[in-house]
Amino acid sequence: MLIVNDLTVVYQDGTCAVDNVRFSISTNENVALIGANGAGKTSLLLALVGVLEEKSGEILIGDTIVENNNLRDIRTKIGMVFQNPDDQLFMPRIYDDIAFGLRNYDFDEPDVEQQVNYTMSRLGIEHLAQRSPLKLSGGEKRLAAIATVLVMSPDLLLFDEPTAHLDPRARRNLIATLTELPQSKLIATHDLSFAEELCSRVLIMHEGKLLADGDISLLNDATILDTAGL
Amino acid sequence: MSAHNARVHELRALDTLSAGQTAIHRLHPLAKLICTMTIVICTVSFGPYDFIRLVPYLFYPFIMMSIAELPYRLLLSRVLIALPFCLFAGISNVIFNRSIALTIGSMNISFGVLSLFTILLKMYLCVMAALLLVATTPFTELTTQLRWMRIPYIFVMVFEMTYRYIAVLLEEAYSMTTAYRLRSGSKKAIEMRHMGSFVGQMLLRGFDRAERVYTAMACRGYSLKHIPFAKRKMTGVDFAFLSAVFISCVLIRVINLR
Repeated sequence: MLIVNDLTVVYQDGTCAVDNVRFSISTNENVALIGANGAGKTSLLLALVGVLEEKSGEILIGDTIVENNNLRDIRTKIGMVFQNPDDQLFMPRIYDDIAFGLRNYDFDEPDVEQQVNYTMSRLGIEHLAQRSPLKLSGGEKRLAAIATVLVMSPDLLLFDEPTAHLDPRARRNLIATLTELPQSKLIATHDLSFAEELCSRVLIMHEGKLLADGDISLLNDATILDTAGL
Repeated sequence: MSAHNARVHELRALDTLSAGQTAIHRLHPLAKLICTMTIVICTVSFGPYDFIRLVPYLFYPFIMMSIAELPYRLLLSRVLIALPFCLFAGISNVIFNRSIALTIGSMNISFGVLSLFTILLKMYLCVMAALLLVATTPFTELTTQLRWMRIPYIFVMVFEMTYRYIAVLLEEAYSMTTAYRLRSGSKKAIEMRHMGSFVGQMLLRGFDRAERVYTAMACRGYSLKHIPFAKRKMTGVDFAFLSAVFISCVLIRVINLR
């Protein structure tokens, strides 16, 4: 599904955010991406969707290499849910936010309507369709942000700190929702118990490097967590 | 929070109106766009003393508002925002151009006064035409149409980004003001000596947030250079509306009954 070979991201100020990272994710696999603040998790996710141009190495989605000239196609295969849902919800109504991607890909309006309604009913947020993003709770915003990505039917979902700012109930709802999604997932999080509940495998990052890649039980290894600054 | 919410709601009022389902709302955006441009061009092309000849153009806002079921007060309040600028532009004419243009009863009206009223009427017609377009057309359809018309993408981008970031900037300003007030004792407003760093910080935070919003848009296929297909075709009704408005505007402009 996803193969990353020797990926390096060096920002213009010389900061090496991702250093020679190599891993792969299989179809339907849920992988947690763990690391302290500044470990390079978000930079890695942004590099995977082709947002960061300061990268070297190779990223393959299925059989396609991520390159500047095929980003439009790549972004139908990978969906990214940002840490702050407010960054992702910028239209006057939630319906328009969810339809935004489809409209950018020139879907006909009846198809847009059908897919938006289907996605909202799948996540149980039909009642939010006509609401403004400014008036939603944290949990509702999170689900709406997921819907904006899910509506494109991507093969791989990337999540950046999905449990940030959520209360326990919204967090439980989110876990239930994500469990039901069949797509492969790469979830960057500090929430170790969330990772344990949802993922079978973990990647641990430290200072841009991949410190460990293995079974989720690695999260019980105090030495690795300590080295990673967690 | 309520004041903040009220401002955001006010900001989004035209968006809410644009989601209406009247006959005007259902018209093709291109037809409405061309009609708006026609009204603006015709209006602006009149001379400084052609007040009477401009009056017939009032048919457009009144007919559009009644069919589209738009609240006149809301639109008028938006038009009034432009009023001070026009008053400043026209007031000097009243002072310096005092020669008599016409007499109504025993009242003499100078060319200066006539030109002031002409400027105000032109402002009303142009701003109202633009507001009617925005209040009856969803913003995304409007920008899609502009991109399809090959308007340079940099203009469309500025248009789209401004629209999206107004609410973002308002939110940033609100949270910063709240944080400031909570730590500034009983002061109700931001002191002038703090204003520089406050505005600077707000701008930097706005840039940062804008970049993240843009990234989120790009991740969902948004591209400045991508020209969307014209999915909706103009129908007979759209052409009839366009022809009616266009011909009326041109006739009013060309025919001089005086």
